[in-house]
Order: sequence, then C-alpha cells, then structure tokens
Amino acid sequence: MPSDAHIQPLLDAREVTVRFGGLTAVDHVDAVFRPGELVGIIGPNGAGKTTFFNAISGVIRPTSGQLLVEGRDLSGQAPHRFAARGLARTFQTPRVFGDMPVRENIAFGLKFAGRRPRRYWLWGEEASVPWALRTPESILALIGLSGQADLPAAAITPSQQRLLEIGMALATRPRLLLLDEVAAGLTEAEVEAMAQLIRRLRDELDLTVVWIEHAVTTLLRHVERVIVLHQGRKIADDVPAAVVRNPEVIEAYLGDEMSEEAAA
Amino acid sequence: MTSRQFLIRDLLVLLAFTGWALAVPGFASEFVVSMAMTCLMYVALSSSWSLFCGTTRYLSLATSAFFGIGAYTSALLLETMAWASVIALGALIAAAVAVLMGAAVLHLRGTYFAVLTFGMTELIRHAISYFEKSVTGTVGRVLVVVPEERTIYLTVLLIAVVAVGLSIVVRRTRFGLAMAGIGADEQRAQTLGVNTRLVKVAGFALTAAVAGAVGAAMSVRWTYIDPHTVFNPFIGFQTVLIALIGGAMTLWGPLIAAIVFSVLAETLRLQVPQLYMMSLGVLLILSVLYLPGGLASLRWQTFKDWGQASRQWWRELRDDLRGETARRKAQAKQQRERSNAF
Repeated sequence: MPSDAHIQPLLDAREVTVRFGGLTAVDHVDAVFRPGELVGIIGPNGAGKTTFFNAISGVIRPTSGQLLVEGRDLSGQAPHRFAARGLARTFQTPRVFGDMPVRENIAFGLKFAGRRPRRYWLWGEEASVPWALRTPESILALIGLSGQADLPAAAITPSQQRLLEIGMALATRPRLLLLDEVAAGLTEAEVEAMAQLIRRLRDELDLTVVWIEHAVTTLLRHVERVIVLHQGRKIADDVPAAVVRNPEVIEAYLGDEMSEEAAA
Repeated sequence: MTSRQFLIRDLLVLLAFTGWALAVPGFASEFVVSMAMTCLMYVALSSSWSLFCGTTRYLSLATSAFFGIGAYTSALLLETMAWASVIALGALIAAAVAVLMGAAVLHLRGTYFAVLTFGMTELIRHAISYFEKSVTGTVGRVLVVVPEERTIYLTVLLIAVVAVGLSIVVRRTRFGLAMAGIGADEQRAQTLGVNTRLVKVAGFALTAAVAGAVGAAMSVRWTYIDPHTVFNPFIGFQTVLIALIGGAMTLWGPLIAAIVFSVLAETLRLQVPQLYMMSLGVLLILSVLYLPGGLASLRWQTFKDWGQASRQWWRELRDDLRGETARRKAQAKQQRERSNAF
C-alpha cells in the first residue's frame, strides 16, 4: 500500500453498509481517498458501485458505517453538507437543468457550494479560487462547451450533457470529484478525450478524482489505483497491474478477455 | 433584453397596474370596487402561491388555512390593536404555522404533499370549530370595529403589490434560484450545495405570510366570520386553479388569470352560479391540455400552432373517412414485404 499513509485522507469511508430491505447493496466497504489521487472503481453490474457513490456523496444515508471528510464525521448528513466540504459528483444519467441555459447550469453551482467569501465582504473578487474555476465562462472553456453556452441544456447532445455534468460538479469548486460512468455510451475517440480531460482536471486543478466505469480497459489505462466491488463487497484495492492478476477479481468480473491481456 | 431590462420592464408594468388599481375607487361604482378587491385578493394569493409552489412544484392546498389564520387573528385582535399591526401579526402567525407544517410535510412530494396540506387545513378548521363550540361557546365572531372601506381597499392593494413585487425580486436572488433548482431536480440541487430543507420551509412560510396578511385584511369585509367561511377550502382551490390557468411558472400569469376570474365570477355568479364552477373546470382542462404554460404563455405563435394542428387533424380525419389512410398503409405493407423478399 502507498507509503503516504500519514497524509490526512480527503475522504475516509469506514465499514460503509447500505441495505435496501433484505438486500445488502454495499457490504462493509472501507475506502480511503488521499489528495491528488486518481482512483477507479470497477465491478460487474449490480456490484453496488453507484450505491456506494450515493452513500459517500450523502445522497442516500448509509445503514451503518462512518464517512470522514478531512477528518470530520459527516455520516447521515444532507448532501449539501458534503458539497460544502468539497465533494462533488456527477450522475450516471446526466441530470442537468434542462430548461436553463448551459451557462446558468454552471452558474448554479458557483452560487451555492462553490461560493467563496469575497475580498471586501459583498464586493470584489472571490478569494482563493483556481483561475480555471473563476467564472462560468472559464469552466465552459475547460470542459469545451463554450460554443453551447446560450443553448438550453436539454438541447445539447447526450455526450455534451455528460461534459456539462462534470462542469456543474466543477462549479462547486470541489476537492474531490466523483464521476459516475461519465464515459458510458461514448465513442472510442470521445472516451479517450474524456480520459484526457479527467487527467487534466486532476493535474491542473489539484483534484482527487474517483471514477466509476463499466469499460474496464479504458479505466485501467488511466487510473493509478483500482477498487473492485463484487456483490457489494470490496474484493481488491491496488494498482491496476496487480488487480488484473488478482485471481478473485478475474473470477468475479474480468473474465477471459482481461486475463489474456494481463498475461500478454 | 438583458436581465436588468427585464427587471425594469416588470417593475414598470407593476407600477402601471398599481396606478390603475389606485384609481378604481375614484371613478367606479361600489360594485366594481368590491370586485376589484376580490381580484386583488386573488392576485396576492395566487402570485405568492406560484412564487413557492410554482417554482418548486410543491402543490400546496393549504392556502385557506393561512387565510383563515389571518382572518381569525384580525377578528380577535382588531379591537385592541392598530390596523397595521393586526395585518403584520396575521402574516407572522400564518408564517409560523407554515414553518411547523412545512417541517412536518415538506419531505414528501407530489400527491402526498398536496393531500397532507389539505388534510392539515381541514384539521385546523375543525380544531377551531371545536374550540369555538366547547371552550368559548360561540359559533363565530362578530367584528364590531371595522376600518373604512377605503383603508381596506388600500391595504389589500398594498399586499397584492408586495406579493407581485416579491415574485419579481425573489426570482432574481439566490433564494429564487435555489427554488428553481428544487423544482427542476431537487436531489441535483442538493448535491450542488442547496440546503433544500431550509429553502423549502422559508419559501412555504413566505407564501403563508402573504396569505395570512390577505386573510387579516379581508376578514373585516364580512363583519361576521366563522371557521367555515374563512377556512373554506374553496379559497385554496381557487388560488391553485388561478395560478395553474394563468401559468404557475410565470410571473404575470397569476395576475392575468385573477383578473379574468374575478370578471367571470362576478358576471356569472349572480345569474348562473353553476355555470361559474363549470367554466372554471372547463378552463382548467383546456389549459392543462392545450396551454400547459398557462395564459401567460399565449403568443401569436400559439394561435398559429393551434391552427396548424387543427388543419392537420382535419386532413387526417378526411383521409380516414375517404379510406386514403387504409390504402396508404396497405401500400407500405406491400412495399415492406417486397423488400423483405430479398
């Protein structure tokens, strides 16, 4: 495991469990996300990836377990508290505000979780904000939607809505970005561009990124650490090269395709 | 137009309406003044209703509860307190009740929320009836000291102007944006940092305050009030109907619909009261089916679209009757079969 264990983690999820009636969707999962990491979460359908995301972003309340954001216990709190502490997320199916123009969608986050104290109380620039996240326009430029700024969000293409989802999350000026299948349904070239964008966000904005994806091969190429969920449990948490050799992972999920690749 | 120009336009329109309403008692008959007062009452009620319920899409039927609370406040306190403070107190008590009610039911959505707000209204109405009967031993209240007709009119006008002014201003603030976000996708708004619980309770209290103030001002018109007149659920229903027909998401819809309604009500209610209720129903059905944005969303283009749609409908009907449609379908089927053969 990494040697930087002394650094305080951005998010420390301890024994997170989510039950829906008799079904245990997430079963005692521990996960630690440190500043500057790019972590992937994979797992077969129904492994509990999205439920885990919902739990650590506060959207659903975990049945048991603890969520420490920068050492502060936020378990059981409303999602806006998580957003205020620098956790931002996207949703699997884009949930943009369709009636509002693209620019307003971005401005929304800037006015709530992204709001920072101004230099002279109510006036002046907002202090301590990275240059790229200063205005709606700069965020639009970052995600490459400047040309669509005035269109209603319902009118842009689904892949552009995916980008807009990321832009909305960035507008909360987060420290930790949770991406839920942002590359699903994109073409090969678009997936590659998305991966480049995510790496750039991490490098330039000093973000921690947690990325859930179904397309395992793409994900493994770009992340530095992978958490594998299977039937709600965490079965592996390591660098990609080690994860693809893990027999339990191969059996649970990756199948022949990946083990061949790993052997090659 | 830029956002600032829109603000100026809206404020100017409001100013024009205010001036016109101010002038009404000067030249019009007593009948028209009383009609204008009912109209202003519904302008205030439905504008403030759409300010919260329209933007957040929480359909509240509790308007009559807040109205009644305001009315009772004024009936009880008018003899001992000044007119302005009675109105303010009515608004305050209604808002306080809304905070309690909101904390209890605002986590529910859709039908559940609507039904529960209605249930709570009935609960308050029956509780007060019971209290009147068993504790104070009365059925209703007689209002002895009432202010002049002119004062009442100006007060209701002021409340209506404040309600519309609030709708104009609030939609430009962070609070208004938060409510719009809740209406569009509540959970998404939450993950973007909106404290939805606080915003919803505050918005609900704001509508309640306006309804309470209106109730306090209007109760003196009746000289005698009992729970069944001032907590009449019809006040709440009519507020919702006006807002929906006018366009609950729009700024001027409730005002336009309130004017249409009061004219309709006064002309029809005297001669054919059943027809009034029926026309309400028909208007609601028509606006839900053909004008989901409400009266305020009517444009030239809407009429053109309607014309086009009805021509299209007529063409299809004619083709059906002549057997043209059946022939076309058979042809398409034949073509499909032919291409499937290869």
